[in-house]
Amino acid sequence: MEIKGSVALVTGGGNGIGEAVVKHFARHGARVAVVDMVQKNIDRVVKDIKDLGGEAIGIQANVTSEADIARMIKGTVEAFGKLNIAVACAGIIRDGTMLSLDKETGKVSKKLGLDKWQAVIDTNLTGTFLTMRDAAEAMVNGGWEGLLVPISSVNKVGQVGQINYSSAKVADALMPKTIVGEFLMRGIRNIRCVAIAPGYTATPMLTGMNQDALKAILEDVHLGRLVAPEEIASIIGHCVENEALNATTIEITGGLCYPKGIAK
Amino acid sequence: MHSFSYNDMQFSVEKRDDRWDISYQLPNGSSALAGAGLFAGLQESEAAARALALIKTIFPVGIRSVGPDVTHPNTIGDLKIVGPDVTHPNFIYWNKDSVSCPKVL
Repeated sequence: MEIKGSVALVTGGGNGIGEAVVKHFARHGARVAVVDMVQKNIDRVVKDIKDLGGEAIGIQANVTSEADIARMIKGTVEAFGKLNIAVACAGIIRDGTMLSLDKETGKVSKKLGLDKWQAVIDTNLTGTFLTMRDAAEAMVNGGWEGLLVPISSVNKVGQVGQINYSSAKVADALMPKTIVGEFLMRGIRNIRCVAIAPGYTATPMLTGMNQDALKAILEDVHLGRLVAPEEIASIIGHCVENEALNATTIEITGGLCYPKGIAK
Repeated sequence: MHSFSYNDMQFSVEKRDDRWDISYQLPNGSSALAGAGLFAGLQESEAAARALALIKTIFPVGIRSVGPDVTHPNTIGDLKIVGPDVTHPNFIYWNKDSVSCPKVL
């Protein structure tokens, strides 16, 4: 499938990796739907795409809402007549260890709240599922060639302080196997699914963090710097064009290793 | 250029080369793009009709009725703080916009 002439929908398209993906597609001739929770981010990205000479619409939506998901798919098809690529970049973090102990008594002083657990599962897992499900529905019913791209994370291996995030992202990483297996079973041959698992990426969330902590993170990255969002966007663009990539999860980490040098 | 009002928002559909941009007024008086480079080759009347249909999809007139989210309370000790259930599927579409359903003072 060629990027040029295709129609892409990107959730979380208002900043970070999602913004880079949207702009990569627009630069290469795709028509794009920028979906985000924050209207001012949508407005900015749509204007940037206009300035690039591209075609775009902006849709404010919450990926945890079935009604919003249906609306963003309908709006995209209404504007551009089809849908070929869906990238689920929308994601949040609500970090914390499952248990915290009182230093004096050694007893549990605090538990990770269900609000922190559920918010991350709702956005990062349920939101991705709903995006993939309804995008696939539109592609099947429209008879359009398609690619579904869940965004996982290298922290799918299990990151301390992120039981909610890691649980969601490992599930996202498994989606391509299940989805493509089901497509094969149902005779759906026109849609592929490839997940991307980025490492530490230069999004506002990371570049704005404590610089000493950031430096410590980078000591474990062979590349010696954060992965650029544009590099993530580039690999997604490659996934669109390389039809042999299917039913798998691709890690792009710059060589992230455990402290003793074992690649994660 | 074609302008229309929908749900108390002002939209304009403007031609750029052979394509159309849809912009709207923000509350602070500046404008933002709802869409750029759309409806290649269409005449103004067709583009205006497509734009209105698209805007009605993107900016639905509606009331989101949400109840308390009793399954996910924030807890502070024994105190449970119950917030709105923002994921509740109870979404009521009100299919009349502000033009067809004017305000009654």
